[in-house]
Amino acid sequence: MRYFEQQHQPPREGRVEALDKVTGKGKYAAEYKLDGMCYAVLIGSTIASGKIKNMDLTKAKQVKSVIGFVSHLQKPEVPGFASEAMIKASRFGLPIFHTDTIYFKGQPIILVIAETLEDATYAASLVEVEYETAPFNVDFESSYGAVPMKEAGKERGKLDAWSDAAVVVQEEYNIKPEVHHPMEMHATIAQWTSEDHLMLYDKTQGVNNVQQVIAPLFNLKKEHIEVMSEFVGGGFGSGLRVWPHVLAAIMGAKQVKRPVKLMLTRPQMFIGTGYRPASWQRIKLGADLSGKFLGIHHQAKNETSLYERFSDQITRVTRLIYNFDHLKTEDALVPLNINAATWMRGPGDCTGDFAIECAIDELSYKLKMDPLDVRSKNIAATHHPDNKLPWSSNYLLDCMTEGAKRIGWKNRNAAPNAMREGDWHVGYGMSVGMWNAGRNKTSAAIKMMSNGQIIVQTAMTDIGTGTGTGMKNIAHELTGIPRNKITIELGNSNLPPAPSQGGSTGMSSVSGAVVDAVNLLKLKLAEYAAVTNLKFKDAPEESIVLSETGISLAHEPTVKVSYSDLWKTNKLDTVVVEATSAPGEERKKYAFCSSAAHFCQVRVNIKTGKVKIDKLICVADGGKIVNEKAAANQMSGAAVGGIGMALMEERRFDHRFGGLIGDDLAGYHFPVNADAPIIDVSFIGKPDPHINPTGAKGLGEVGIIGTAAAIANAIYHATGKRLRDLPITADQILS
Amino acid sequence: MKPFELIKVTNTKTALSHKKEQVQYIAGGTNLVDLMKKNIHLPDTLLDINDALIRHIDKKDNRIFIGAMVRNTEIATDKTVLKELPLLSKAVLAGASPQIRNMASTGGNILQRTRCPYFYDITTSCNKRIPGSGCSAYEGENRMSAVIGYSKDCVAVHPSDLCVAFVALDAQVHVIDTDHKKSIIPFQDFHRLPGNDPHLDNNLPEHALISFIEIPENPFARNCAYIKIRDRASYAFALVSVAAALHMQGDRIIDARLASGGVAHKPWRWLEAEEFLRGKNVSDLVFSQAADIIVGDLHPLAHNGFKSNMLKGAVETALAQCLVV
Repeated sequence: MRYFEQQHQPPREGRVEALDKVTGKGKYAAEYKLDGMCYAVLIGSTIASGKIKNMDLTKAKQVKSVIGFVSHLQKPEVPGFASEAMIKASRFGLPIFHTDTIYFKGQPIILVIAETLEDATYAASLVEVEYETAPFNVDFESSYGAVPMKEAGKERGKLDAWSDAAVVVQEEYNIKPEVHHPMEMHATIAQWTSEDHLMLYDKTQGVNNVQQVIAPLFNLKKEHIEVMSEFVGGGFGSGLRVWPHVLAAIMGAKQVKRPVKLMLTRPQMFIGTGYRPASWQRIKLGADLSGKFLGIHHQAKNETSLYERFSDQITRVTRLIYNFDHLKTEDALVPLNINAATWMRGPGDCTGDFAIECAIDELSYKLKMDPLDVRSKNIAATHHPDNKLPWSSNYLLDCMTEGAKRIGWKNRNAAPNAMREGDWHVGYGMSVGMWNAGRNKTSAAIKMMSNGQIIVQTAMTDIGTGTGTGMKNIAHELTGIPRNKITIELGNSNLPPAPSQGGSTGMSSVSGAVVDAVNLLKLKLAEYAAVTNLKFKDAPEESIVLSETGISLAHEPTVKVSYSDLWKTNKLDTVVVEATSAPGEERKKYAFCSSAAHFCQVRVNIKTGKVKIDKLICVADGGKIVNEKAAANQMSGAAVGGIGMALMEERRFDHRFGGLIGDDLAGYHFPVNADAPIIDVSFIGKPDPHINPTGAKGLGEVGIIGTAAAIANAIYHATGKRLRDLPITADQILS
Repeated sequence: MKPFELIKVTNTKTALSHKKEQVQYIAGGTNLVDLMKKNIHLPDTLLDINDALIRHIDKKDNRIFIGAMVRNTEIATDKTVLKELPLLSKAVLAGASPQIRNMASTGGNILQRTRCPYFYDITTSCNKRIPGSGCSAYEGENRMSAVIGYSKDCVAVHPSDLCVAFVALDAQVHVIDTDHKKSIIPFQDFHRLPGNDPHLDNNLPEHALISFIEIPENPFARNCAYIKIRDRASYAFALVSVAAALHMQGDRIIDARLASGGVAHKPWRWLEAEEFLRGKNVSDLVFSQAADIIVGDLHPLAHNGFKSNMLKGAVETALAQCLVV
């Protein structure tokens, strides 16, 4: 233990928060201890559809430290949920504790609050609920057929224009639902610090989003809600929404007039914080004999809840990567008695891309062409195929070339089912993925002290992606202030506002704000410096040079004012600047994308059905890489997620009872280290010239968009077996 | 979970005298605590028997004795086991995770409850939890369920890997009952088939303690293998597993042992296939025929028909791997 009590310097090249994380000093949402805090446990419905008839709390109330309950029968007022119409208008989703209707099995219906977690948990097990049951349906596979398609985006060209295509692939693809399961389970501590002030310690990917969602429900000013999420143990999209348990904790705290902590259990993570919905897709893809694509027809359906419709926008990616003169995309939602789905890493695109990239692979074999060449021929390398704007930068072809080199693509035997080592068949597969590179309005502030130390701040969270480290690197590069004099503060709603960290926009958005804040700092310090040296007066920002010790001018390095003099002369305390940075005119002139090429070598045991991934290579174009270690870490994490999607992840239902089967981490399989090779990650690393001041494009999604297809394609190459349904478990291989 | 009292006992005498209704023994707790969290087991009192039973591995008269409190990890890494009973080590390392193996005791491993998602879900009916309430898995989601020896009342499988190796090696379970009487139960007879009373997993007398496991001298150290097919490479229960051991003389099989996990309510011995192998010369064909004998006995359910092919491949692979020394 002594090690953790000592003062340590963070490793120079490591994450800014590394030391806090490995020593346990960093606090995740559930780790705060507040005076008078009590503990809450959610009870879920045991039926999938119907009404709550009666709740018997008699036995639960006898548990010694039980303080209170929240349910639709006993609850504090939530003004924003005052009527059905207001509930709907709030777009909150599940009207938790405001209905007796059961929409899905596991739906939270009662919150039990006690002095200890143990008592709350025990009391929860003693609550008896009577229901009136109603028919339900949780069976996506037998239900999607009946739902009609509707257009998803404008049709390009004509569907029947390529009916005589020389080569056509028309196939269906099914993907089972997947659950995010970040290591840190979702948790909220809610504390009403006064009648109209709320403090939340919450696991979220966006503190300002939590303010915006909660404020109108309680008629609060959003500045009166402080949301603290300094450390977040993974999100993968599960933290982009404000889920019912957050409201439950806030209502609980109001009910018992004390701070309430509510942490979901792992089984509740299966039904409480979204998932990647089950999907069905049909692709019809045509090409001429040279391998040029003639057209595509992409249809997709995804499951959704009854109380909220969520489209995963599966066909969006179809309009992004390749040139199709003729394109038709359609989709539909299949409502079931299940909880609401949400964005999960590479949302929609990950699903759609699997179908497209498998279909292209299949087409290549039909054409007897290299799948790499077929793709090269058809990739929209210069312009966005939908809006026709020129790409600001798109190095997908370079990613493919580099990936092919790394895996030795040209040395493989191109014929399927041709390479064997005993019972093991060896195969190679590849695919590509792309993601619209976004950027959102973001603010950052810098506070500077007389000793040259700076604090860089933003409200943006760091969900493990390395936001803070990236910010530090940028600030260091631009100011010359050594890393050990730069502190990062983030993940709190009192800091300069920032969007949620999601959709690969985090670094792209915040980096611009940090650059702008540094520029403001330079101008401000120059103003103060001008008091002693007029040469600084009205100096443009690009001529101002900061360093560890003071400010000087680029063309006259000898003209220098030290920070201590500057602070003394101007009688300064702390210098504060804040900048807001947002996308602008460049969005009208250019299209922006991140992309990646994935290559995979698998071994498939034809006797046991085991699939072993020997090599997984991911080459990405994410613009400038601000923090290579964290960026590579993010890519390998995504690739491992892709292995899970391809080979094992499945949220499984019993259609008769409407509930989940095996809702724990022994029953739901995501990859362990032994399932993944060391992922070979590399970057093109060229800054995008227009996206933001740093040229960083964002990477979170492209690491997983295409991974599953590369694996499935490699399995085909190894075995000659074309498997179009995920996950590809050993039984599918043997079937 | 329900509040409970924890009592630490330091000898078997005290342990056995404490035993009454709603009292359960706890060793590593890797299964029991889960079951308590899920409100499946609701003991009032837990008797911590870690200090009451033996925690070392002994060799006497060429027989090996593994104390009931020996941790799974200790079996996997013990020098005597590695030299003379490598099959045990292979089986242990195929199971659970390092953290669980560090905690899990030998006695607890044998006594862990059978595995079935409905058993773990108290909102569904299960004859193991509430006798007579019905089996949800028989006509439900039964991909992981049994393919042999099940009944309409229960299709759960025994999850242990170590027990598959124990049954293959003709282990014996030494027990002490509440009258302090010592007895020996052959491993093969220790676990039960579900029949009409699936709430009973095994034949351990009520409230009795396992003191140690005895493994007779055997000629299988050289040629043995453990193959486990599962949905991921570690920390997953077997879809099927195979413990195979051969006693070879040149190319001739003098004796053979074959057992499986993930197929039945108990670790399953394939006696007919063993008999078939005895006296044969090894070949892919002979291994394939032995696997066919095994697969011919299976009666898969609606969702686990794949286990036939998988088990055939696993048996062939395990037998072939026995020869890789």
